Amino acid sequence: MDGLIPIRQLISGQSACVRRIVGRPDHVHRLHEFGLLDGTEIQMFRRGNPCIIRLAGGKVCLRADELLDVLVAPAGGQPRVAAQT
Amino acid sequence: MPPRCEPTLLTVALVGNPNAGKSTLFSALVGVRQRVGNYPGVTVEKKTGRLVHAECQYELVDLPGLYSLAPRSRDEMVAVDLLLGRDPAVPAPAAVIAIVDAGNLQRHLYLVSQVLELGLPTVLALNMVDIAAAHGIAVDAEKLRRRLGIPVVVTQANRGVGVAELKAALDDAVRRGPRPPASPLPEPVEDEVTRIESLMAAEAADSRPGQPAVRYLARRLLLDSSGYLERVLLASSDGPVRSALGEARRRLAEGGHTVPAVETASRHHWVRRTLDGVVTRPSQYRVTLSDRIDHVLTSRIWGTLFFATLMVVVFQSVFVWAEPAIDGIEAVVDAAGGWLRTRMAEGALRSLLVEGVFGGVGGVLAFLPQIVILFFFIAVLEDCGYMARAAFLMDRFMSRLGLSGKSFIPMLSSFACAIPGVMAARVIENERDRLTTILVAPLMTCSARLPVYALLIAAFIPARAFWGGLVNLQGLTLAALYALGIAAAVLTALALKRTILRGETPPFVMELPSYKWPSPRTVCHRVLARAWSFVRCAGTLILTVSILVWAALYYPHDEEAIEGPYRARVEQLESRLHSAAGDADRGAAAAELRAVEREIHGEYQRQSLLGRAGRLIEPVFRPLGWDWRIGSAVLASFPAREVVVATLGVMFNLGDEVDVESGEDSSEFAARLHAARWEGTGRPLFTLPVALSVMVFYALCAQCAATLAVIRRETNSWRWPLFSFIYMTMLAYSGAFLTYQVGTWLGGR
Repeated sequence: MDGLIPIRQLISGQSACVRRIVGRPDHVHRLHEFGLLDGTEIQMFRRGNPCIIRLAGGKVCLRADELLDVLVAPAGGQPRVAAQT
Repeated sequence: MPPRCEPTLLTVALVGNPNAGKSTLFSALVGVRQRVGNYPGVTVEKKTGRLVHAECQYELVDLPGLYSLAPRSRDEMVAVDLLLGRDPAVPAPAAVIAIVDAGNLQRHLYLVSQVLELGLPTVLALNMVDIAAAHGIAVDAEKLRRRLGIPVVVTQANRGVGVAELKAALDDAVRRGPRPPASPLPEPVEDEVTRIESLMAAEAADSRPGQPAVRYLARRLLLDSSGYLERVLLASSDGPVRSALGEARRRLAEGGHTVPAVETASRHHWVRRTLDGVVTRPSQYRVTLSDRIDHVLTSRIWGTLFFATLMVVVFQSVFVWAEPAIDGIEAVVDAAGGWLRTRMAEGALRSLLVEGVFGGVGGVLAFLPQIVILFFFIAVLEDCGYMARAAFLMDRFMSRLGLSGKSFIPMLSSFACAIPGVMAARVIENERDRLTTILVAPLMTCSARLPVYALLIAAFIPARAFWGGLVNLQGLTLAALYALGIAAAVLTALALKRTILRGETPPFVMELPSYKWPSPRTVCHRVLARAWSFVRCAGTLILTVSILVWAALYYPHDEEAIEGPYRARVEQLESRLHSAAGDADRGAAAAELRAVEREIHGEYQRQSLLGRAGRLIEPVFRPLGWDWRIGSAVLASFPAREVVVATLGVMFNLGDEVDVESGEDSSEFAARLHAARWEGTGRPLFTLPVALSVMVFYALCAQCAATLAVIRRETNSWRWPLFSFIYMTMLAYSGAFLTYQVGTWLGGR
């Protein structure tokens, strides 16, 4: 599928949809149980490694590397951020 | 007429994800003040309490915070065992209270779907609806109740809202009895479960198919592809089950239901279906206060700066704030000892009370204020949610050691005490990482080392200030000792991860809970619990060791054999003192008499049980610059490091007649250490290199029986506590050796 990028490449405030998690089966399974699985909507809060993402109403920090990576499809081109004061 | 309550106490399990507010709800339900945590895995121990509703009573068991009931770690196994009634200490639960965060239902219902498979009467506590509403998330509880088919109660555990309704719903659910277990797994999976179940039932004579426990375990065995359950549950003789599992998984994979992905996929699918139309959320995330704080506190530059400043403030306060309180306690202990000394006749009992009890336990008790302050800070940081941010910031560094940010929380706790630190390592899923963390956590400078450091630093490090009093040498020494512990832990972790615990850097996923004001009740409860356990330790273990050391140092106390040879000289000096003409003459006689008395006192110690044994092993300690007294004080502190303050107190206090010139800013105890001499010479015993070598030894040694016991419990083997003890003792001995030798060589003498 084209348009998939590693989660690290999202910029802060950008939303995306998780498409595939690659890594050892038990690590992938952990992420699945944690609520991070194909089809989940996320938003990047703070870039970097580890990064912080918003996930289902909460914030989660995650280190993505060659051992365990999350591939996402960015939503639109525009980062979506709620109106800030 | 409603049916009466069961005569026996029914067990109810409280299950939920970390950060769902489980510990708070537990407190609200049982009315017992509790430790409430804010980072994943804070509930590391099984907590129970009495839940009372009308005339009925239930035993509520608080399970560790979990994301899933698929047991792959000890924490999860504890939960599954308890839920299935496999825990011999707790009767099988009659019902379950599942708690979920209303703002996080999408994730939290995953665990609920596993709980529903148990078939037990279940009540759902829909918690933190207020916070969800602040995020613009609305949940239709009535619709959720209909979808799930179990009672759903809206709660705000922190304010006690909905607690009474929850109790009533629980009571009602228990009376209705078991529900049919519901599973969202596809039919082919359940067919395979049935096959495994009958096979397991055939193997074990005492269980029949159809029992929920057997079916549940069969399902878990099938879905757990990591092999953890197979290792735990199946004996090596269970060959048929093992091979059946492998075949079942192969068949399922061929049919497009790959294990373990099939479980997460079908459960999340179920969650999505269940929540459709139940939860409404805004199209965009609302920026909350937590987000604004996180913009600063998780930033690489500002966040790290804040973290570093915070650590400096914490450790600075530990010393500055504690000082007046320490002085107060010391004054009381000294006064009490002095009062006893004047009121009691000389003899074994007075010696025991004044030197053994007040000299030993009193010296340790003086460090209570520092421990209280340190635990206060840790409790506040945990409760407000900052700890998870600290772990996030530290992950970058920890991953270089081959560990993850999760190892940071146990290590920070270890600055207070290694025991909660070692237990907090349970949140680390990777077994090798957990072990590495457990093995290096005791190197962190725990509060039990503070008494040793504080005593020796105050006594031997000059209070010299630099930069207009901003930094002083005593503070720097302490900082250096903390740094030594950290450096030793870092190097040890690196060495372990490269040798016996080799493995890749584990993945790091962790929830960052919303910030909240720390609850004063929670913080007070935790600080008091810690302070009390320290006082209890001082009152029991340290008291016992103090008395034993005192006795070993006092007996056999053969007056005739020891004082006999000196008697003539003492009598001669005493008569000289009485008949002395001038002050100068009297002074000289008195000084000589004191010298003889000191010799007698030394002779008593040398001829005591401890003295004889200590001198035998003195050669071992010589290279560290220690004499037999320091050596035996250190050996006697094996049960707990802080005991050494007590044993040194007993050791150097015995024989009150020792000359003590109490300085202005050094305690009487410190003055006594200064007065100590190598036996038979006028050479001071405690020089700067010796004091440093003792401190370095305590920075690195494993002198804490309780920590070793908890390592034994957590690793379930004697191998690791033994390993810890040996490697830390070797490290401590070499460190002390180097310190003394280099210090002496540098001319510290």
